[in-house]
Amino acid sequence: MAAQLNLSGPPDSDLSSLTDQSVSSRPSNRSLRVAEKERRKNKAEDPSVLALKYFADVEAGTPLAGNDEVERNLVLVEKVAYRNGLSPEAISIMLEFAMSLRMGHGLCPRVLKCLIPVTVVPQEAVVRAVAWLTVGKIPVSTQVLFIKWVLTVFDMIDAKDQLRAIYGFIFSFVSEENLCPFICHLLYLLTTKHIGKSHMFTPEKSGRQPFLLNLLSLYKVFCPELVTLSIPSRSKSVFKNHNMPWKSALIAVQKRNGSQVASSISLASASKDRTNRRKRKHHHLELPVLSSVVNKEPQTETSRRLVPLVQIQSVAELLENMDHIELPAQMGSLLGSSLALQYLDCVQDESALLRLNFWLGYALHEELLFCGDGGASQNSEESLQFLDKLLSTQHFLQEGFSSSEAFLYKFLNVWDGSLLRPQILGLLSNIPVVPSSQMGRLLFEPLMQLFFTSCVFFKCGVIECLNNMLLKWLTWHSVYTLEDDLDISLNSHTSINMTLSGFRDSVKELVDFVGRLASIGLQLEGCHSLLLNFILDFYTMVCDTFLKYGLPLVVMPPPGVFYPALFATDPVSVDRLAFIMYRYKVNLTSAKSQEKLSEQAFHISRQTFREFNNYTVYMVNCLWNSKMFQPGMGVQLGEELLLKSNVPQYWKSFDLVHHPAFMSYAVDFHQKVSVGRLGVPLSFH
Amino acid sequence: MRTPLNSVAVKRRSKSKSYRSSYRSGIGAASRLSFTPGLTSRRLNTSRKAPKSYKIAEKVTKEQLTLLVKTEWTLSYVTPLYRFRHTQLKSYSRQLSLFIAAEKQQGLAVDVEGTQNTFRVSFSLVQGMTESVDDAVTVLIQIHSKPLFARQDKPLRQVWSGWLTCINGNPEYLRSLPTDFICLPLFCSSEAGGLTSLVKSWFQQSFDCCFSPLEISQTSLQWLMALWTNCQPESSIRQLKMIWTLPAEPQLQVTYTVNAEEAWELWSSVRKESTAGEGEENSIDIEEVMSFTQGLKGHFIRHFRLDLSAGSLKEVSTALGSAKHSGRIKFSNSKYMITTLMLLTECALLKMPI
Repeated sequence: MAAQLNLSGPPDSDLSSLTDQSVSSRPSNRSLRVAEKERRKNKAEDPSVLALKYFADVEAGTPLAGNDEVERNLVLVEKVAYRNGLSPEAISIMLEFAMSLRMGHGLCPRVLKCLIPVTVVPQEAVVRAVAWLTVGKIPVSTQVLFIKWVLTVFDMIDAKDQLRAIYGFIFSFVSEENLCPFICHLLYLLTTKHIGKSHMFTPEKSGRQPFLLNLLSLYKVFCPELVTLSIPSRSKSVFKNHNMPWKSALIAVQKRNGSQVASSISLASASKDRTNRRKRKHHHLELPVLSSVVNKEPQTETSRRLVPLVQIQSVAELLENMDHIELPAQMGSLLGSSLALQYLDCVQDESALLRLNFWLGYALHEELLFCGDGGASQNSEESLQFLDKLLSTQHFLQEGFSSSEAFLYKFLNVWDGSLLRPQILGLLSNIPVVPSSQMGRLLFEPLMQLFFTSCVFFKCGVIECLNNMLLKWLTWHSVYTLEDDLDISLNSHTSINMTLSGFRDSVKELVDFVGRLASIGLQLEGCHSLLLNFILDFYTMVCDTFLKYGLPLVVMPPPGVFYPALFATDPVSVDRLAFIMYRYKVNLTSAKSQEKLSEQAFHISRQTFREFNNYTVYMVNCLWNSKMFQPGMGVQLGEELLLKSNVPQYWKSFDLVHHPAFMSYAVDFHQKVSVGRLGVPLSFH
Repeated sequence: MRTPLNSVAVKRRSKSKSYRSSYRSGIGAASRLSFTPGLTSRRLNTSRKAPKSYKIAEKVTKEQLTLLVKTEWTLSYVTPLYRFRHTQLKSYSRQLSLFIAAEKQQGLAVDVEGTQNTFRVSFSLVQGMTESVDDAVTVLIQIHSKPLFARQDKPLRQVWSGWLTCINGNPEYLRSLPTDFICLPLFCSSEAGGLTSLVKSWFQQSFDCCFSPLEISQTSLQWLMALWTNCQPESSIRQLKMIWTLPAEPQLQVTYTVNAEEAWELWSSVRKESTAGEGEENSIDIEEVMSFTQGLKGHFIRHFRLDLSAGSLKEVSTALGSAKHSGRIKFSNSKYMITTLMLLTECALLKMPI
């Protein structure tokens, strides 16, 4: 029914451009109509207006043969019609003239073919014409032509209510063999959830014509229990376009008028075109079709009628029926529609979510784990699309599905680290908080193996993924503490009983793990600056856990991260490290002051403060005081060794002036300073 | 020994107060979209009871039993069925027959009442085929066809049959499911004329479940060998026949048949001294199964200088039944059917995504 949504056509925005023409748009309000009449009066002499008047007034039974007047007037109307289109009134007059057979049926097709609306088609005219159909003198071919015309201009009909009111009347034409396909199409367009129920017919002899099936499939949407029907979802056929006689003329007229009327030229049928899918052996990844439940549970409260989700067409309807929506037969189908996703966000029924998880887990397992023949690599295009869809769904819901989590724990053990890497890492970053006792086995062990055996880009990907994971955990936490006042023991009888301290343990575990990965990764990759950048991203978040996310936890980076960042050769890394240290300081001081304020506030271990102080002292000594190798500092080298290296004034090597990261600034500065001063040679220590 | 603890899909206590917000939090494994995921992975039992003969014939009707026993079944696993009611089998029969008619005739809508249908579907319960209280009752589905121009009194011809079962399913798993779900994880069907896929898709649409083929793994086949051989004293297995394939070029297939008595002798020799007390049931360990297979392989090496370890076991058969790696099984003796089904149920449950 999508086609109906944009029906109403544009309001007549282009009136002025039409004033000099005999035809004009139908104004939507009275005053305009009056003005129109005025104008019409002035132009009474317009030949085409006179022609229309002729057709409106012509007596029934006027002979056609040898009647030059008819011919002349019809040519006039045709000329206007094909050039500018006909006004609503003109359409009414001509349609009435043709269908009433006032001058026999000879002219009928010719008139019908020139009914090119310029804006809208008055509904009354169509209803009257349908009424004429039953008079029974119109030849079948003309009847067909008329229905085809209605279908073509369907979106331009100004209202549909009266047409729906005679639904049953139109329905009676289904039995006419020649009309049936077109009538079915028309009914398809007219059917709403209120119609249709009374018209379920028993098409024992109807065979398998696609037009009937299309109509029936629509009925099935509204009354699933009455229609048992199977249409292979892939070959969902579409009604043909019957707009041939009018197509080019309509387009031409609309183009000339610059109007934006959504014509039915683009309208094929409301049923969605399915993207052509490559034939494949397995169908795990195919989303089920959204359909309503057939086996209805006996409804206890008759007052509360459930509305199947498949009947919901807009967000407004969704909101209206929010509390009595019937879930579809297959929960997996929710992933296929954005509207359904909106609803999924509100579903609280555990069984429903479990159904969804069963389906999703099944699809993932079958596609990526159980396929023995390396099927995943063959179908990677489908897998990719599926996982992308899953990712965007999880992103939309801001939550991961437990089935994808359970799948990942298994998949990580067999993953080669390259198959669908962005998707897998994306899914991984969505997993909810894992109890710290389980993290090692489920997450760290398989990840560590992959991390140390893969290239630097994979390492960056893993760090980024863990960074996102931590971000989500912390965000959940901060939202949660706001809402639920720190009562977070959720599971009474499972092994997982997450308390605040449990959550903190998990976060600490994760941060420590990334610290280990980062230290060794930097060593393995020779302090690769891209990797370092991702690691510093991570610590930019870690240093702010207390102030930004309200989690009373401060974890310092390990030396394996701190020193490589401090001695990095690019200024960005050193700068970011300084910023991180600054944020650590802000967090720690604020934590300390809070600790003083309230007794029972958390306690940050002295060790953390000591680490922070050590780092800061070293950083200051190194950068400002030019005392790189002080006894008792993190980095120590023997005096003799340093002398042996023959670096002059080695203690100054990493101060602000001499730090390799800032060399480019020094050169830059030097150049700027030396401009205009001659003879100052550029020299380095 | 017991199955390693699995904490899959444990139902959470629902929290009436701010249910949603606590869900939303995602703290713990309790994301709103989540059930507690399988934090520990399930494994196949490493030890199971020695098969004892069941007097199944006393409980299950004769017709059903002959059907179950004489056919070779293709196995699938099924995720739990949502809102399947054992009390509504009649209505299911009607719906499925309509569904099949609609599919067979490529999309003809069928009037609900009183249509002559060439396919008659009947759902029935197989009473007496449960092992524990948590098992759902087995459901048998038969499809009969009536040729269009058949005489009135001509009996209907059975064209398809299949059944859903759960024998001794892991109680923790079964109990963790909400009551809306019926777990019948093992689906056996006898393939004919594409009806299997129709039945499957009807189930999928009606009960929101998923089907996929269930292969019988190497380990399970070896288990079956041992379990069946263990029955030799009570009921002759006649012979133990194995089919192995070896990765040679061209592929080498080895059919290895062992005399029943000799197989039993080998089996007895690898059996550990039963430490269980007299009251307790005799149990079989995975080590014994492995040494049994090892013994058979060793024997083969001695005679043919060919190590079967390089290849894979494809098929096992005895007088009690036969099983194929591709997921086909035949029960030839109803007495030991339950034992086999327990193993297969376990395999099917292992495939559950959550």
